[in-house]
Amino acid sequence: MPSSRTIAPEIQYASLAQQGETAQIGMWVFLVNETLFFGALIFTYFLYRLSYPSEFAVAAKDAVLWCGSTNLVLLLTSSLTMVLAINAAAQGRRSEMVAWLIATLALGFLFLGFKGYEYFEDVRDKVVPGLNFEMKPGEAPAGELFWVFYWVATGLHAVHLSIGIGLILYMLLWRIRRGEITPTYYAPLEVVAIYWSFVDAVWLFLYPCIYLVGRS
Amino acid sequence: MSLEVDPRRAGRLPFIAAWGIMLLMAGMSLLTAFLRMGVWAPVLEFTIAALQVAILFILFMRLKGPPSLRWVFAASGFFWLLFLYGLSMTDYATRHSWPTQRVEIENPRD
Repeated sequence: MPSSRTIAPEIQYASLAQQGETAQIGMWVFLVNETLFFGALIFTYFLYRLSYPSEFAVAAKDAVLWCGSTNLVLLLTSSLTMVLAINAAAQGRRSEMVAWLIATLALGFLFLGFKGYEYFEDVRDKVVPGLNFEMKPGEAPAGELFWVFYWVATGLHAVHLSIGIGLILYMLLWRIRRGEITPTYYAPLEVVAIYWSFVDAVWLFLYPCIYLVGRS
Repeated sequence: MSLEVDPRRAGRLPFIAAWGIMLLMAGMSLLTAFLRMGVWAPVLEFTIAALQVAILFILFMRLKGPPSLRWVFAASGFFWLLFLYGLSMTDYATRHSWPTQRVEIENPRD
C-alpha cells in the first residue's frame, strides 16, 4: 500500500494548486444550491410556525430533546475531527489523518444510531403523519404540520449525512489507500470536509426549529 | 492565539477553542429554551445558531484566508437566500390577517 505517490495535475490545469482551488469552488457552487434547498424548507417551517404558534409549541414537546442535543454535540465534534484530519494531511502526518477520519466516521455513525433510536421512539409515540399519527389531549390538527416538517427535514439531513459517510469511506478505502492524498495535494479531502461541515451547519438550524420549541 | 487556517501551518488550538465556544453556545441556546423569554427565545436561539454557522464557515470550512472566489459563491448563496425570503415575504407580509388572525371562510351556500 503506497503511503504517497507523485500526482500530476489533470491536463486542463496548470498546477495542482489550481486544480485544488477549482475543486473547492465546485463544492461551494453545489452548497449554494443546498443552501436554497434547506433555506426554502426552513422558510416554510417559519410560515407555519407563525401561523400556528401555540399548536407548534404543544406538538414540539413530543420531540426527544436529549437525542437532538446529543446529536448536536456529536456533529460539532465531528467537524472538529474532520478539520484536524485536513491539518494532519497537509502536514504529512498520514496515520494521524487516518485516525481523525475514522473518528469522524464513528461520530457520523453514532449520529445515525441516535437518530434511528429517536425515530423508533417517534413511531412508538405515534407522531408519523400519514402512517401512524394520533392527536393527544390538548393538541390541535395543525400540530401535525410540525411533524411533517420534522420527518422531511431530519430525513433529508440523514440522507446528506449518509452521503458524507460514504465520501469519507471512499477517501479512506480508495484515495488514501492508493496514496492519492499527499501533503502537496489533499484537495479531495478538503472538498469532503467542506461538505461535512455544511451538513453540520444545517443541523445547527434544525435544532432550534425542532427541539427547543415550547419548552418553557 | 493565532487564527491561522492554512492547513500547512495551522495548529490544533484555534479549532479546539472554536469547538469549545460552539459547544458553549449550544448550551446557552438550550438554556434559553427553558427560560420564560416569550418571543425573544427563538430570536436568541436562531441568532446563536447563525453565529455558530459563521464560525463553522469561516474557520472549519476555511472561508478565512487569502481572497478567493470561494467568498463570491458563499456570499451569492447568502444573497439568493435573502432574495428568496424577501420576495416570498412580499406576499405573506401584505396579507391582511396573517399571521395573528385566522380568516374564517364562510360557505357561500349557507
